[in-house]
Amino acid sequence: MSIEQHNVKRSRQTPEALAEKKQREKSKIDEFLALTDDVLSRKKKRDWSNDAFELTQRLLQINPEFYTVWNYRRNILLNGIFPESTPEQINNILSNELSMTTTALKANPKVYWIWNHRRWCLENGPDGPERDGVPSMEWRQANWDKELFVAERMLDADARNFLAWNYRRYVLANMPTRRSETSELAYTSRKIGANFSNFSAWHQRSKTLVGLWESGQLDPIQSRDDEFELVSNALYTDPDDQSAWIYHRWLIGSGENKGQLEREIQLIFELLQEQPDSKCKRLWCMESLVHYKRLLLQNHSPGSQTLKQECVELLSRLADLDPVRYVRYQDLKRDLDQ
Amino acid sequence: MLPASLPPLSKGGHAAHCKRCLSGLPSSQVDIDPAKLALSFYCLGSLDVSGELEKKTKDWEREQWREWIWSQQTRGHHGTGFRASSYMTAKHSTEEHSGHDNPQIIMTYTALLSLSILRDNFSRLDRKGLLEFLRSCQNIDGSFSSEPLGGDSDLRTTFCAFAISTMLDDWSGMDVANALQFIYSCRTYEGGYGQSPFGEALGGTTYCALAALRLATKQLDPLSLQDRQKTVRWLVQNQAYNGGFSGRTNKDADACYCFWCGASLHVLDAGDLVDNAAMSSFIASCQFKYGGIAKIPGEHPDPYHTYLSLAAVALLPPNSSEGASWALCPLDPLLNATYQTSSWARAHIPAPKVDDDALGDAGI
Repeated sequence: MSIEQHNVKRSRQTPEALAEKKQREKSKIDEFLALTDDVLSRKKKRDWSNDAFELTQRLLQINPEFYTVWNYRRNILLNGIFPESTPEQINNILSNELSMTTTALKANPKVYWIWNHRRWCLENGPDGPERDGVPSMEWRQANWDKELFVAERMLDADARNFLAWNYRRYVLANMPTRRSETSELAYTSRKIGANFSNFSAWHQRSKTLVGLWESGQLDPIQSRDDEFELVSNALYTDPDDQSAWIYHRWLIGSGENKGQLEREIQLIFELLQEQPDSKCKRLWCMESLVHYKRLLLQNHSPGSQTLKQECVELLSRLADLDPVRYVRYQDLKRDLDQ
Repeated sequence: MLPASLPPLSKGGHAAHCKRCLSGLPSSQVDIDPAKLALSFYCLGSLDVSGELEKKTKDWEREQWREWIWSQQTRGHHGTGFRASSYMTAKHSTEEHSGHDNPQIIMTYTALLSLSILRDNFSRLDRKGLLEFLRSCQNIDGSFSSEPLGGDSDLRTTFCAFAISTMLDDWSGMDVANALQFIYSCRTYEGGYGQSPFGEALGGTTYCALAALRLATKQLDPLSLQDRQKTVRWLVQNQAYNGGFSGRTNKDADACYCFWCGASLHVLDAGDLVDNAAMSSFIASCQFKYGGIAKIPGEHPDPYHTYLSLAAVALLPPNSSEGASWALCPLDPLLNATYQTSSWARAHIPAPKVDDDALGDAGI
């Protein structure tokens, strides 16, 4: 369904060159098939040797989606390699698995089975090293910390990689020593500060805040006001950007707070008058004004003809400026009459 | 203000591109192996929706493809379904229950549609095994995994379960209430649906959620009017000025989202909010000189973007004055196939009903 498809390139070549290319491709395919045969028959024979281990790596490098081979690799570790190793050696092997899969992920960031293998490595790390004769959690914590670092590097490379965000949430939820939600809030602040159009960071922020409000670590009322200040900064800095507008809408919610609603309407109205002007800014400002004035109408001033008229006028201007959504604006105008 | 006239839609060229991809791909495409059946569906679907299937393919080719698809029907320890291809079967393996050659839910969905496009009579379908397979894929949280042993479990795989049950006309393979619960848990404050809970709204998974809801409940009962409006707004805002749709907040337009978002609006009975002319104009600009449609103008095409672009045009066509090239076969947005194909599926996939009259005549 949402599988990334590779491009099928066409190139003009001589018949000889084409024939050679075809031969090369055929030998690559034959090699792959032979390797597959070898690995799968060893698997069937329960071959837990080092040779088998190396072969699985070769095969997985070519085709990391081969989930049954990842399974086999783990079984080789459990049945062949780990029984012959000390906890420290096991930890080193698992760290190595994590490095190897990091490389694999760079080329294939969306392959579920690679992530799955990493989770297995993290969740099956041995206790150690010993401190005062007692096994500690240091090795495991170190691996999980590094994992968080990997997720964050992926996000630095592509701030909108939602799989990396998902994975980051998984790591935070499963580390031996949990990080606080307030430190997570700080992380989103940094990401948003670095780039206001990082919608995924705003999204993560909204999730974190809800957690903090529900657990009582932050006062929802004060916190919301702080958020309005943060988002209005973003709106004024880059009013063309969608992320802040959507976040703002989320903060307003169902518009129960009349004071908040009126304050924000005023703020957006002022933004609309400000220079520099842009079509995008005007659209976002006007569309938001319509939405918020309707909330005011519905929740606090049901009879107000002034508000209604203001909305109708804004919708007419929007229809002119944004013909792609013409029908929608007409629909909204009709709704107002009811 | 009249829109500028559209360039023609090169139906023939796009069909040819897909036909070529059906015939074979070079070794550089080996990582498509885990999705080969899906790829075949995009190719066949393109031929179907553009009305070029009979014209561009021969009887024996269609026969060959049917055979190939059926050879992917596999009985695992957890029921029967279709696997992506034979890439995980050792050449000399004679085992029936190999244990690692599992059916996959997305491949099963696309296999059923592909066979319907090819007008198979489904006499070879192991319906009982298919229901068992569905049951073994459903998780505690209501979602469906792509395979019984794991793999992605999210709205895409969950939609496939709804589509398969619809085609079977048999919902005993799933706990519908639990699945609906999972769908709801993927809703975001933007109004769309993420791939899984806590994720940001995506066009593709929003389609999956809405189509699944519609398939299971006929009306979109679980959605309140307010929720519906929010979803409509998010979707409508995803149409960019160039007419294309983006898949999420603050991303650029990509041809495939013309279907995911456009069809979502259609499912919500809000298809008229799409600017069809602008959308077609964007898709026209994504056409590749030698056939096929790419995700954005100037890039190389692929069957996935080709099919979804054509499907979007079929569902939300521009004005008839744009000419015959833009008139495609009517599309069923809930199963994502032409109406002719989805009707065939609904008629032939369910278990044959026992004819009581015939039994009476036979003295039974």
